[in-house]
Amino acid sequence: MKLWSPFSDGQAKVARLAPRKPSLAGLTIGVLDNSKPNAGALMHRVAELLAARTGAAGVCGWSKPSAARPAEILDDVAKGADVVLTGSAD
Amino acid sequence: MPSVVVGTDAFIALAKATSSKHGLPHMRLALVPHPLGGIPVDAARAKADGILDEVLRGLTTDPAPPAASGVTSPTLIDAPDDLDAFQVWAMEQEWSDGLPVLPPTEARVARILGRRTGDTLVATLMPLDGRATLHAIAVNAALAGAAPEHLPVIVAALRAVAKPEFNLNAIQCTTHPCTPLVIVNGPIATRLGVAGGPNALGNGHRANAVIGRAVRLTLQNVGGARPGREDRATLGHAGKFTYCLAENEAQSPWEPLHVERGFPRDASTVTVCGSEAPHNVNDHGSTTGETLMAAVAGTAATTGSNNIYLGGDPLVILGPEHAQTAASSGWSKQEFKRRFWDAARVPLEKFSADNIARFKLTHPERFEGAGPTALLPFASRPEDVMVIVAGGPGKHSAIVPTFGATRSVTEPIED
Repeated sequence: MKLWSPFSDGQAKVARLAPRKPSLAGLTIGVLDNSKPNAGALMHRVAELLAARTGAAGVCGWSKPSAARPAEILDDVAKGADVVLTGSAD
Repeated sequence: MPSVVVGTDAFIALAKATSSKHGLPHMRLALVPHPLGGIPVDAARAKADGILDEVLRGLTTDPAPPAASGVTSPTLIDAPDDLDAFQVWAMEQEWSDGLPVLPPTEARVARILGRRTGDTLVATLMPLDGRATLHAIAVNAALAGAAPEHLPVIVAALRAVAKPEFNLNAIQCTTHPCTPLVIVNGPIATRLGVAGGPNALGNGHRANAVIGRAVRLTLQNVGGARPGREDRATLGHAGKFTYCLAENEAQSPWEPLHVERGFPRDASTVTVCGSEAPHNVNDHGSTTGETLMAAVAGTAATTGSNNIYLGGDPLVILGPEHAQTAASSGWSKQEFKRRFWDAARVPLEKFSADNIARFKLTHPERFEGAGPTALLPFASRPEDVMVIVAGGPGKHSAIVPTFGATRSVTEPIED
């Protein structure tokens, strides 16, 4: 039998990722912590190790109050860092 | 700015769905072995070494851009004619919730749509940003076994869950066991046979069953919340098959929910809440509101609830006999809410030290400066407590906590 598919289209769009940096030397690595347990601990550790390896200028951090809501501080993060680590899950 | 998403491998489907929704299916991910939570900080930090190369690559090398995907129109698909073979096929296609579904044939979908225009956009549904057109909703209603007269309620419920304050993306993707509870008010409930009396949240009522199920199937198929993938529920709950009831307005001593929210009594509405399963309140002894409240508040005030630290608008469903007991003490619905808010509290000392430390960081407004005997309310304000009357004869009520970071939404039903 012929049936209608129950799926629908997503909003079809494809964006470009920001151009990557050739190296992290002299750059500030940002960490956007989503407040899930240990998210900041892991990402700050990654950032510290990366800074030591690449000669990045430093690490700075932001956190959003709840993983259940979108971040409202993205402009601050964009102003304060050159590259950023974010995410995390339980 | 160059970014890398750091997460755990158990959540990769959700990370990919979220980045794709934003047009970035090629977003750079760096995954550590699950879990991150519930382990010592040092163990979490030790996972950094394993992803260092991947993070560096993600920040310093450009990925190939993905091919643009075009918009496709509604699709007709060949499916097995044999109904048992069709069930197996529907599971393979990921159309189903596990219970048998009815085939969405051209004739059945056309009958459900009636004279409505199929390409009318009702809402876009997270996490996929899927386009819930009337046609797409009617196809899922057909799968769920709904009849044409159920469609306006299903449509209103989907319009409601897409409102920003409902926070659908989080409701669809969280590990917490929540799903939209659909509460129907007004004359349409009687007309369609949406039960608000005996066993209202149980089996035996076609309208309750198919309306809630059609909402869920649309959220799964159009919203793109596939169980165990984008839908990250640790356990889920049985209401994720269907979760719908009417308020028992005829046996309530108080104004019904939709009247509280500014609709005329003869209007028909749906209210959606991002709800856990109901938890029973058994009280066969109380004869006054004051004594009944000990059982109702005692059932609500627990340490493991999302509402106790996130706030939100949790629901109390009073059985008609319990509602009469409260009203017989001279209480209005507002007075019941005030007394419930006052009584449904958890002393801080009941929480573990680990959780108190975490809550002080994530929710300082509730937890900072609170001493061990501080009493934390189940809702932030009395008016945040939702109360409806439902059920049949008997001395039972229910507490229905929510996800917390969500607000219930009431929408009119447009026939």
